[in-house]
Amino acid sequence: MSVVQKQINVNDEIDNVCEDLEVKLKYTSNITPEDVLKLTKITDNFLCSNNNEYQIEFTRFKIRDLETDTVLFDISKDPNMPETNEITTTDDKQQDGTTEDSGRFVRYLFSATFLKLKHVGATVEFQVGNKDVKNFRMIERHFFKDRLLKTFDFNFGYCIPNSKNTCEHIYEFPTLPQDLIDQMIACPFETRSDSFYFVDNQLVLHNKADYSYNG
Amino acid sequence: MGFLTVLKKMRQKEKEMRILLLGLDNAGKTTILKRFNGEPIDTISPTLGFNIKTLEHRGYTLNLWDVGGQKSLRSYWRNYFESTDGLVWVVDAADRMRLDACKEELNILLQEERLAGATLLVLANKQDLPGALSAQEIKDVLELDKITTHHWSVVGVSAVTGDKLLNAIDWLIGDIAKRIFTLD
Repeated sequence: MSVVQKQINVNDEIDNVCEDLEVKLKYTSNITPEDVLKLTKITDNFLCSNNNEYQIEFTRFKIRDLETDTVLFDISKDPNMPETNEITTTDDKQQDGTTEDSGRFVRYLFSATFLKLKHVGATVEFQVGNKDVKNFRMIERHFFKDRLLKTFDFNFGYCIPNSKNTCEHIYEFPTLPQDLIDQMIACPFETRSDSFYFVDNQLVLHNKADYSYNG
Repeated sequence: MGFLTVLKKMRQKEKEMRILLLGLDNAGKTTILKRFNGEPIDTISPTLGFNIKTLEHRGYTLNLWDVGGQKSLRSYWRNYFESTDGLVWVVDAADRMRLDACKEELNILLQEERLAGATLLVLANKQDLPGALSAQEIKDVLELDKITTHHWSVVGVSAVTGDKLLNAIDWLIGDIAKRIFTLD
């Protein structure tokens, strides 16, 4: 019964969740997984600084289409790795005008066919500094406008000091209704994602991305 | 409706399997992982951490964890034991010089309490190489017949050609499913 009660309260407050989180930030720096799982839209700002004490650094993002066995994009910090221009990082879309946020915002330029994919593999590669990382968890929230499209919630667990790690999620792309697809194509960069990374339930990294599908 | 949703979520969660690939360095753990997922295997370097794959296979969500096998990394393996349903012990069947070390490391794992509930699949890898020991020979060298604490099987495979790999993994999944998902 208390669960039901809580559910109702959450619904009442649903529009205020983002604002609540900003308020919470003023008093504490501890944003938890439960906090971000309640979010009903993309956040206005980054919810933590860009300097994480664990020196966790993402070095590669890759998406492949398993139906056609094609790499759709592969962006890497290693200069020897191929890059395509389907994805661009931008410096002009900064939340507060400083350069502190460079590297944690990515803009993806896709064609409409991307929304028709069925079976994809999404890989991230990251390295960690000389501290071990315990209970490393990623929560990624994808929105089109204020509509939640998908939540990824994955626990990497433990990361070895100075390690380089990869994780590929192979999944069925959610089938989207045609009218939603049409809107997503018509409204570039209204499809957005927040990626939150936690160590021991404390937010240590926050990356953002937006997407267009009219390329 | 809320209750049904919760039940369904629980069922989905139950259908998850956590499978840990371990073995000495250069045994072929990452190559096996990539071959199983249909990825190119021509540029694989030593794993200096972990590689995870999550995928759907035969109606189950498999979480496959491949952790680096270099000597300096082995003391970190214990951080990945929790909740493991299946342990894949990958052996370079052509590396006769290190079979003693291989046996020793496996025996340490088998005494590990947090792996007590895991099914063991031993892959005698690199069957494509001349001089590789057969699955039967690997079974004898590692004294697998002495194992009474775990369900186990040994299969000779080649990660390079993919030979018998899928069958071996399917045996592992089948055994885990029989042990854990008896209600289905």
